[in-house]
Amino acid sequence: MSTRQILMADDDADDRFLVQAAFEDNNIPNPVVFFEDGEQLINHLSKNDLNDNPLLILLDLNMPKRDGREVLKLLRSNKVWNAIPIIIFSTSNAPDDVNAAYQLGANCYIIKPSSYEGLKEAVLNIQKFWLNTATLPV
Amino acid sequence: MRLLRSITEQKLSWLVRFLLGTSLLLIIGLSYSYHTINKQLLYFSEKVSHTQRVITALKETSSGLYEITFLTNSFLFLRDTTYINKSLAAIASFPEITYKLDTLVSDNAVQKRRIRMLHRNLEVFYTQSAVLLKPDVIALNPISFYASYTSLGNETTSIRKLISEMTDTETMLLQSRIQSKEIYSKQIFRYNWLILLVTVVFLSTAFVLLDRELVRNKMYRVDLENKIENLNRSNAELEQFAYVASHDMKEPLRKIRSFADRTLIKYGKDLPDDVNQMMIKIDNSSQRMQLLITDLLSFSRTVNTGTTPKSISLNIPFAEARANLSEIISESNAIIHCEPLPTVEVYPSQMVQLFQNLLANSIKYHKENQSPVIHIRYKLVSGEVIPNVQPAHRDIRFHKIEVIDNGIGFDKKFAEKIFVIFQRLHDRSKFEGTGIGLAICKRVVSNHNGYIFAESMEGKGASLHVYLPLESLLT
Repeated sequence: MSTRQILMADDDADDRFLVQAAFEDNNIPNPVVFFEDGEQLINHLSKNDLNDNPLLILLDLNMPKRDGREVLKLLRSNKVWNAIPIIIFSTSNAPDDVNAAYQLGANCYIIKPSSYEGLKEAVLNIQKFWLNTATLPV
Repeated sequence: MRLLRSITEQKLSWLVRFLLGTSLLLIIGLSYSYHTINKQLLYFSEKVSHTQRVITALKETSSGLYEITFLTNSFLFLRDTTYINKSLAAIASFPEITYKLDTLVSDNAVQKRRIRMLHRNLEVFYTQSAVLLKPDVIALNPISFYASYTSLGNETTSIRKLISEMTDTETMLLQSRIQSKEIYSKQIFRYNWLILLVTVVFLSTAFVLLDRELVRNKMYRVDLENKIENLNRSNAELEQFAYVASHDMKEPLRKIRSFADRTLIKYGKDLPDDVNQMMIKIDNSSQRMQLLITDLLSFSRTVNTGTTPKSISLNIPFAEARANLSEIISESNAIIHCEPLPTVEVYPSQMVQLFQNLLANSIKYHKENQSPVIHIRYKLVSGEVIPNVQPAHRDIRFHKIEVIDNGIGFDKKFAEKIFVIFQRLHDRSKFEGTGIGLAICKRVVSNHNGYIFAESMEGKGASLHVYLPLESLLT
């Protein structure tokens, strides 16, 4: 199992804490790096070289500075980053938001679960599918 | 106007009607009188000219008689035979003049009698003239001549007297008729002014009232339009508010639950029992709050904006509702009997919600030792059978859909309360739920301009009656 980074951009500190806890509680070995908004995420990606693309990106939709939609557009239009799997992680269950996210190139859309138990299960499922089942781009 | 403003709307309305009615009656009455007077005036005008014609004819008769007498005398005294022909010609044309007189006085009995006498006198006059107007009149013996001449003279006198009497009569008639005519002329003049006056007063009053009404109407319309606009805006704001509020309220709740959850998972084993219990209570309460908010959100979304009604068979949303409930139906071994439902113009998704909530309600409140059995009955009814129906709905027909169950039922004093949002008749430990299901049902039915009622007796099952208009009232 690779130990490449998983990136997560979410302006909500509680959510960042809970997701981190869920990764820990599920004993997922991949390090998770957190950002408070889209801009920080893009800056981080820009600093890295080609060999160091993250394994997955977890992206909130509504954030200050650069929101999830802008980040999606930017990543998908960039030759280096357009293959990175992106999972949208949002509270919105509005069909418009879901459709728009997939149209902009998201690979998965998860509505933030309403309990920690739910969150833990969602993170477990991410591990099961994205880390253990699917083959991801290098 | 100030006076008009101070009286009530109702009274003003009656006053206007009264004034209008009175004015109309007055104008009609005056017009009828005017017509009658006018007829009289025409009658007397005609009579005056008739009398004048009679007098003219009498004068013609008189001068005709003079001419004949003059010509006859000229012949008798001058012995000029040329007068014979002239006189005979005058006599021959005389009946024409008298005939005119005959026809003119045919309407007057006294004058007619005089005319008859006149004709008798004329007969003698003509005969005696014929005797005298001969060239050989000199051959007549003096006695016969004298007799004829005297007779002619007498007749002439009689005729003149008759003509003079007739002329006197006609002159008197003329005077009285002229007087009558003048009286009617004056009256008609007065009536003209009176009708004009009443009409002007009537029209100006009507104009003032109408103008005032139009101004007020416009004010009301503008006011109403403003109110509708405000109402629409505040409704939209309210919907937006309910949506945003419930959506945003979910956020902190999610955190409360998540942290309580995580605390329990991570430290549950190390916590004292009572702390553990309290954490569980926090979790349960926030879970319940989440349910309430979700339901509130779905209640606030049960509106007609943004969707268009469709004419569909209600069997379709019913089947969908049943499918959505398949899990609890099989868990509770519920048996559902449904009569074929009609095709109605509805908001399909709202109908699914209606049937789903009604069925879920019947299944939830089943008796402990008995599987739920639910009957759905359908029939067409008249609006008047619906309790407290709006007057406008009395004469239209409604689809009546009854959902009858064998559940625990409820006291009939709660028949209205069960449709109020968040109202519950039972302890939460007995039956789960937020108490919003039937409130949504009521809203759906109201959105379709229908009615919903519940009937029950405690322990004997409940029946819910939904009425939807046969002809859609949705716009």
